[in-house]
Amino acid sequence: MKLFIKFDINTICTLFLKQKLEEQNLIFSTLGFGEIELEENLSSESLDALKNNLSPFGFEVVENQKSVLVQKIKDAIIELVYTDDNNNFKSSAYLADKLNHSYGYLSNVFSEVTYSSIENFIIIQKIERAKQLMIVNEMSLTEIAFLLNYSSVAHLSTQFKNTTGITPSAFLRIIKKRRENLK
Amino acid sequence: MQKNALHILLADDDEDDRLFFKDAFEEVKVQTKVEFVFDGLQLMEHLMNPDTKLPDILFLDLNMPKKTGKECLIEIKKTEHLKNLIIAIYSTSSSDEDIEDTFIEGANIYIKKPSDFNTLKKIINEVITLNWHYHTSGLNRDNFLLSIK
Amino acid sequence: MKWIPKFNSSNYLRVIFIIAIFILLFLSSIAYKHNRDVNEYSKLLMHTYEINIELERLMSAIKDAETGQRGFMITRNHRFLTPYLFSRDKVNTSFIALKKLTANNPIQKKNLEKIYTLIIQRYVSFENCLKYSDPDTYDKRKLDNHMFGGRILMENIRFKVDQMNDIEKTSLNKSLKKYDQEISFGPLFSISLFLAALAFILLAYRKISNDLERLTIYNKKLLISSGLMAESEAIGKFSTWQWDLQTDKIEYSDNQFRLLGFMPNAFVPNKDTFLSYVHPDDKEAISKSMDGIIKNKELPFIYYKIVLPNNQIRHFKSTGKLLVDKNGSNILLGINFDITDEHLLNIKLQEHNNELVKINKELASFNHVASHDLQEPLRKILTFISRISEADKAALSESGNEYITKVETSAKRMRVLIDDLLLFSRTNTTKKEFIQSDLNELFENVKSELAVIIDDKKADLNVGKLPSLNVIPYQIEQLFINLIGNSLKYSQTGIAPKIIVSSEEILSNEYPEIINQPFKKFHKITFTDNGMGFDPQFKDTIFVLFQRLHSKTDYPGTGIGLAICKKIVENHKGYITADSEPGKGSVFTVFLPV
Repeated sequence: MKLFIKFDINTICTLFLKQKLEEQNLIFSTLGFGEIELEENLSSESLDALKNNLSPFGFEVVENQKSVLVQKIKDAIIELVYTDDNNNFKSSAYLADKLNHSYGYLSNVFSEVTYSSIENFIIIQKIERAKQLMIVNEMSLTEIAFLLNYSSVAHLSTQFKNTTGITPSAFLRIIKKRRENLK
Repeated sequence: MQKNALHILLADDDEDDRLFFKDAFEEVKVQTKVEFVFDGLQLMEHLMNPDTKLPDILFLDLNMPKKTGKECLIEIKKTEHLKNLIIAIYSTSSSDEDIEDTFIEGANIYIKKPSDFNTLKKIINEVITLNWHYHTSGLNRDNFLLSIK
Repeated sequence: MKWIPKFNSSNYLRVIFIIAIFILLFLSSIAYKHNRDVNEYSKLLMHTYEINIELERLMSAIKDAETGQRGFMITRNHRFLTPYLFSRDKVNTSFIALKKLTANNPIQKKNLEKIYTLIIQRYVSFENCLKYSDPDTYDKRKLDNHMFGGRILMENIRFKVDQMNDIEKTSLNKSLKKYDQEISFGPLFSISLFLAALAFILLAYRKISNDLERLTIYNKKLLISSGLMAESEAIGKFSTWQWDLQTDKIEYSDNQFRLLGFMPNAFVPNKDTFLSYVHPDDKEAISKSMDGIIKNKELPFIYYKIVLPNNQIRHFKSTGKLLVDKNGSNILLGINFDITDEHLLNIKLQEHNNELVKINKELASFNHVASHDLQEPLRKILTFISRISEADKAALSESGNEYITKVETSAKRMRVLIDDLLLFSRTNTTKKEFIQSDLNELFENVKSELAVIIDDKKADLNVGKLPSLNVIPYQIEQLFINLIGNSLKYSQTGIAPKIIVSSEEILSNEYPEIINQPFKKFHKITFTDNGMGFDPQFKDTIFVLFQRLHSKTDYPGTGIGLAICKKIVENHKGYITADSEPGKGSVFTVFLPV
């Protein structure tokens, strides 16, 4: 038997974080998208303990101010890409507005920390969403192009090809054959 | 961007290619630690050794003596503790068939060996960046496919 | 076996004959009875007649006695008394005869006794008359009395005789009437019965002669077809055999004997004879399949070897079938083919094929070496050149720099050539996996592949509705890329390229280029551009490998692109044509079977 499971990473991560924090008896409130406010300041030992506790699961306590901002930019972009009806916003204006910094500043910080551009990251996220819609929701390229606010299927295809090096149909074919292989 | 150096392993029998690869990584902004194995057998021995620290990305030449890259790929994907390795095929061939075949077998990245050193640097940068995004931004690694010709 | 006519008249004939025989039996029984009746009647008639005669004789004897007595009485001559004396004997003889004749009839018997009494009385009266007429004892009164009494007695006798005759006659008439009644319905009935029987027999005869005629015709046909069969067996090198499972009799056709190296009917075949000619290698398989045929009622083709008496080995192919007819008899029918010639030809063909495969493999590996393996060192040359830094270049002389640039240009050109060559050889060698694909979807991939050039040239690409076909997706994409790429490359300077792709379904007989293709329906996909075009005299040569219409300095290229197109279209059992006029654009037409 083969099951396809659709899941929401955010929910899982939030739940997992909660569990880990509760294990250490910390009082906290979540601010969403990986941001946590603790009731009291942690001693360096208990902060290290938390870090050690989380790192095996790929969680990392971000300390650097710029890294925090990058994380916020990323969160904002993911929110933007995964919210279906507000793709009409211009992303630069949206980010500047949401994070209260000029877009130029955000862009610089992002490139400095990640060695890649915000635009590039947005494209990666959109293509990632497109992949998910293709595989999980079995949507057609036309539907996906409409949903992700591409001007045409060709535009989506081109961007897909440019980002991944393969065409959407080849991608779908590969994923399907991989699943058959696993059976 | 990362506290620890990115751990890279290249399996390639060609000395010149290993040299290009090493030089290119030295010129890349990201801090990396590059290791080499010279053929498929050595690669599998290395990976199966419990003391080995597994690489963040494995670059795999297809055309190797003793054990081909494709055989290694299939073996790795069948091995429980290795199957989540990010694997980049690094080959001379650019046939769509080879690309699709290795993707189906579980490779994440397919790189046609470029014939220009700057291009190689660019490609390596791209791969590292995308890999990093996949690691840090909650992207589904099952869907991680990148082909650079 | 439809052609075998049905002769089912035998039942019909049997019924007709049985009816006819019954009628005849009936008729003969009637005739027999009739005959017997006639015989009876004639006996009766004879009897009556005899009685009649005897009675008359009796009467005449008495009359003779009367006449003689009268004569004696008148003449007194004793000679007249002689009849009288004899008459008694005559009367007695007649009487005995009559007694015999009437033994079965009590009435007549009684009558006869009365007559007898009367006759005795008459003779008494004769004696008295003689006595009283004798002159010695003459007494006229007594004589008269007795004479008169004799007269009455005579009349009584006559009356009785007549009565007896009458009785006989009436009894005769009675039986006559009875016979008449019995036989009277006979003639008409028997004649009609006889006619009916005749009709039946005629009908049967007609049927028989009809069947006979048909049988003769079919016999002739059978003779012809069996002759034809024998002839075709000989020409076609095959033979037939029948094996009746009930009687365990096996019949070989003449050619079967010949195929086994014998004269026709050289031996009486049985189950094991055939096996003895089978090559030892195949004996087990054949005997197994012989058992199998009875079980499965069918023998799939089997291939084996036969050893002829002269030790020559022939290759056979056989098949068989169990035939069960209406009467329940099981007959195995089999056909053997001598396929030695084909077998040898096949072996030769197989050898050629193997050689071809080997040559093809060599060619493919040569291609691989020539393109794939050459790539490696070339790539390194290029990479090493790319690693010569500006500082290194500055240290070189001007001509040294120039040489390096030239080395790089040549190496790059070589790379393009090798890439194209590899692409061309790959269209031949890679596995050809056909997948049902929407060509419009494939075209989207092509557009994204060529997006940069399309944007650069500001090209207008108008793609109509394309069919969904069973194709090798990569190759069709490659085909489109090459054709569109070609149009983009050879566009007219100063005019934005405009490419129209359209498709329609056509019948091959409407197009002379593809009229001989084995498929009837084709998709005709046309690529029309407004590029520089070419001289139509080159419309065939442009598809030939390494054929270029332009110098490589004007238009870089290897002359492989269109050759690849042709190869791809041929891989799909299609056909590609080009047409153009210089300066007026060109049209490439791809025909792909539906």
